[in-house]
Amino acid sequence: MWGIDLNNDAAIEVEGLSKRYGDLMAVNGISFTVNKGEIFAFLGPNGAGKTTTVEMLECLRKPTGGKAYVLGYDISKDGENIKKRTGILPQDFATYDRLTVKETIQYFAGIFDSHPDIDGLIKQVDLEDKKDTLFRNLSGGLKQRLGIAVALVNDPELIFLDEPTAGLDPKARHVVWNLIEEFHKQGKTVFLTTHYMEEAETLADRVGIIHNGNIVALDTADRLISEYGKKNLLILKRTSSKAVPTIEKLGVKANFDGGDVKVPLNHAVAVSEILHELSKTNVHFDELQLKRSSLEDVFLNLTGESLGENDEI
Amino acid sequence: MSHIKLDLEAALRTFIRNKSAVFWTIAFPCVMILLFGAIFSQSSTKYDLYMQNQDQINGKATYWSTTIVNVLNSTKAFNIHLLDASINATDYAITNRISSLLIIPSGFNDTANMALFTHGSSTANVTLVYDQSTSSASIVRSIVTSVIDRFNFQLSKGVEYLNVEDLAIAPKPFSYIDFFLPGMIGMTAMTTSIFTSVSISARFKENGVFHKLATTPLKRYEWILSRTIYNVLVSYLGMGVMIILGIAFFSMKMTINPISLIMVAMASLMFSGVGMIIARFVKDPDAADAAANAITFPMMFLSGSFFPLSQMPQFLQAIAQVLPLTYVNEGLRATMIFGQSQQAILNTVLITVLGLLFIVVGSWITKWEED
Repeated sequence: MWGIDLNNDAAIEVEGLSKRYGDLMAVNGISFTVNKGEIFAFLGPNGAGKTTTVEMLECLRKPTGGKAYVLGYDISKDGENIKKRTGILPQDFATYDRLTVKETIQYFAGIFDSHPDIDGLIKQVDLEDKKDTLFRNLSGGLKQRLGIAVALVNDPELIFLDEPTAGLDPKARHVVWNLIEEFHKQGKTVFLTTHYMEEAETLADRVGIIHNGNIVALDTADRLISEYGKKNLLILKRTSSKAVPTIEKLGVKANFDGGDVKVPLNHAVAVSEILHELSKTNVHFDELQLKRSSLEDVFLNLTGESLGENDEI
Repeated sequence: MSHIKLDLEAALRTFIRNKSAVFWTIAFPCVMILLFGAIFSQSSTKYDLYMQNQDQINGKATYWSTTIVNVLNSTKAFNIHLLDASINATDYAITNRISSLLIIPSGFNDTANMALFTHGSSTANVTLVYDQSTSSASIVRSIVTSVIDRFNFQLSKGVEYLNVEDLAIAPKPFSYIDFFLPGMIGMTAMTTSIFTSVSISARFKENGVFHKLATTPLKRYEWILSRTIYNVLVSYLGMGVMIILGIAFFSMKMTINPISLIMVAMASLMFSGVGMIIARFVKDPDAADAAANAITFPMMFLSGSFFPLSQMPQFLQAIAQVLPLTYVNEGLRATMIFGQSQQAILNTVLITVLGLLFIVVGSWITKWEED
């Protein structure tokens, strides 16, 4: 079984998986396991190797090296079984543009030889009032929701979502997030790729950070942040530099920068202590901000590069 | 099988909802048939021929000169315009830019009789004045020469008089529209199949439909079969429209038999394969359309869809022999119009073999996903 002890709790097991395109090593011998019932996010910038990895697991691309098992099936031999048992939302889901929402779901249900509750699926993705609308007339967010419904026609145990919210507006993005959380509650396994750190942080039980074809870190978002992120930052907006010595009396460092005082927090002192100390003086501030360290900081710290999120969440 | 039916239903539903596709699928053959039919079916192959009969006695045309005029007239190949015997016909032809003028000289009747008595040791001459820069002049010249040759042949056999039927080098009993309609059916099968195949393949590759299909249990061959059947059905639709118009507007008589239906189906199969092969080598839908045009446009002109191959220069006829559409067109004409079932079957077998070859190669090289 080439170094992999098949684990009954594992939905996906990957060992030394790699993909080469000419001189480019798109995926460089990565190994990881996705447990059944968890939401696993692959976080990385465009071109990091996320889609290549997910497409190898979906049996769309042949690996150059390594092994992987999806739901216990070997990706190099059992593509048909994997396709039948997984739900896949590709990047930029597209289908026949002159079929309606309902016809599209019926079409894919037929292709999977499955008999899902079509109206139930339409309701689940909240497309009831659009069920007779042609695919070509749907907005980007609605198309993705239809794509998710299509990924569910075979009642899959495992769902691959490749950049499910890329290019969507914040409202549409939150609708998709809610759907993904629904799957989680139903006990389905979700493999998600994203370049939005907030998406990974909000949804995923565990996050794999991928950079230049290598997994540079893999753990829960909280543990990644506490291990690789910066300290949380307390910011006193529009205040006086007199706040600095007052705060530093508590044994933490404070910086005065452009009218604001910034305090990197550590376990030695609580925010309440700082505020209590300030209340004893006549130092005032207009606003108090607590900036939490994020996966963006983790990524920056691990790779020296930004995630390159262009669109606001 | 159920997957093929499912995808075919989706393709047909998509087609019916694409109003412009339906319109052009029906309108294009309509326009072509009505336009070309109207242009060519009425005047068919009649050419203007000016004649001056100088062989007259007391203002009355002689026996042999009248016979020549009547015989030429009976071919129904000409609109004959008689000129007055007194004018200078050659000058008249130059001044009025007349392409063909036949002069029967004075004394023709006597020299013709002399030729008969001497069994051809002397000849009676007529003069054909023609403008060699016009294409019709050479056709007129060849018809007139044929008539005169035949006339001579009949006389030498001792036949005293030549009636119309005997002399007829007249146009065959088929009109241009009879020739044109099967060519249009062949051409429609080609354009429908190549363009649909190329543009759908290129579009689905670009917009991600292939990507999604690749994630499902749908097999590539199932999809290709569904799309090929779709092309056959759309070609049948075009064929049906053209046949109805041909019968309704031009009173065409043709045979619709299984051979013609198989020929159209196999042509669609073959050109679907050609389309897949083209689609494999183009990057985007625009390039795909341009490539499809580059293949179909020369083929429709070089394969005898519009004009008989015999009217083309020799080297183009040689090219036509290697173009598959030539065999589709000729096979369809053979079965639908001329009733030559042997040639039709032969061509159908050839197209079936080519069709299977192209569809297998096309299917083999069509990829939904790059590895």
